[in-house]
Amino acid sequence: MPALRYAGVSVGYDRTPVLTHVDLELDPGQRLILVGPNGAGKSTLIKSVLGLAPVLAGEATVLGESPAAARGRAGYVPQIDTLDADFPVSVRQVVMMGRYRSIGWWRPARAADRRAVADALELVGLADRAGHRFGTLSGGQRQRVLLARAIAAEPRLLLLDEPFNGVDAVSQEAIIAVLRELAAGGTALVLSTHDLTVARELADLVCLINGRQWAVGTPGETLTAGKLRSAYGGHTVDLPDGHTMLVEP
Amino acid sequence: MIEPFTLPFMARALAEIVLLALICGPVSVFVFARRLSFTSDALTHTVFPGVVIGFMAGQLFAGALVAAIVTAVALTLLTAGGRVSDDAATAVLLTAMFSIGVVLVSRRSSYTSDLTSFLFGRLLTVTPRQIAETAVLAVVVLIALAIGARALLFRTFDPAGAQAAGYRVFWLDLWLNLIVALVVVAAVRAVGTILVVALLIIPAAAARMVSDRLAVMVVTGTVLVVAAGYTGLLASWTASLHYGVALTSASAVVLVLVAVYLVLIPVRILRTGPARRT
Repeated sequence: MPALRYAGVSVGYDRTPVLTHVDLELDPGQRLILVGPNGAGKSTLIKSVLGLAPVLAGEATVLGESPAAARGRAGYVPQIDTLDADFPVSVRQVVMMGRYRSIGWWRPARAADRRAVADALELVGLADRAGHRFGTLSGGQRQRVLLARAIAAEPRLLLLDEPFNGVDAVSQEAIIAVLRELAAGGTALVLSTHDLTVARELADLVCLINGRQWAVGTPGETLTAGKLRSAYGGHTVDLPDGHTMLVEP
Repeated sequence: MIEPFTLPFMARALAEIVLLALICGPVSVFVFARRLSFTSDALTHTVFPGVVIGFMAGQLFAGALVAAIVTAVALTLLTAGGRVSDDAATAVLLTAMFSIGVVLVSRRSSYTSDLTSFLFGRLLTVTPRQIAETAVLAVVVLIALAIGARALLFRTFDPAGAQAAGYRVFWLDLWLNLIVALVVVAAVRAVGTILVVALLIIPAAAARMVSDRLAVMVVTGTVLVVAAGYTGLLASWTASLHYGVALTSASAVVLVLVAVYLVLIPVRILRTGPARRT
């Protein structure tokens, strides 16, 4: 069973489509990168998978169910700048949030929950920061904490919204290494970025979007000068090494 | 220092404050973290007509309870979805309900004394029955908070993440607004509709000056209310008995809380530097 299947899907808000013609299929362990300029609909597409933005047309299946029915089963790593850095909460508490749904309303956290939190923090290389306040960490470290929170929930499908925005090189490498490990373990990944280098490095599949889906396939098939130009509107520069550089409109 | 509290009415006033401290400490931390200060202020005012109607019908407690639940639902609906008109709509509801309350109470011959007691409470005339009712409400509030604490924390810190995890934000917001409304009902007779908002906002705001940890903030906030209750009652007692100055006890308690808050501001600045916002 595919982790994610979209057939002729349009997504948007208040019945106004933000993104149309989405056709893609993602198997367990595959890494899908959403590439497109700002305002292309990357975040909306991710929200639609999470059941937080409506599917206006077409057929969407998330972990074998409709997005609404699957809500809570897919992991989500939000952009760090959406969170209040002044919030009085420790790194450990943030990661424990990933366990809240399985803990439930009544019972206290068990040893297994604490171990899952410790393991997730270990995996992202921040075990020594567990007691620190979340807001005192650097942007990259905060992003890794949010990744650890998602990992602690042990999802089979994980969605990350621009995880490399405002992230230092060390943290970016750490995140990429963890994502490879997760995919090797069978977790399907959906990640949005406008960094084409990361997309080439990490993707099994690239979905090129800007208001509509322009291409889907391997990085070699999709990140070509012609397709990037059609999606971005003509602002690309061909480099001597065969790669294409984008000039954001 | 202890002697005034051997008098039954002073002991009852202190007992009432201690019960309120037990709920205001934890609840104020959520009010603070969710930035619900204005919503809480609105709740205290919108409960006002319920208090008046309840008083006229001889069921002040029931009136306040019904008004609190109705306005908690109304405020949650008004603020659902983060609409931009939140503040305006809340302000309209606040002033409308407060005016209705004043119109209702002004029809009575004992207008001034009634209004004063509704607005500023009667801490020194708290009855054993009122203390028992406050205790029951305190238990309900603490259980409701214990059930919702984790979900409320998640929703407060990261609304989108909480939604993605499967939480229903509307119902969590209603849950917290109902909890705040119950605190207002519990506190309204002792400290009045105006001053109760101080108990919902200042404990956590002051505790945040000295701690980054939610659990520590809860304990600090609770201790602050107890300490302010004791000091305020003692000050009001001393002022009226030894100096002939009429110092309303509930106002004295609130003033002590405010003073503590002001004293702690430099502590916060020393801890984090002036550049950080509080």
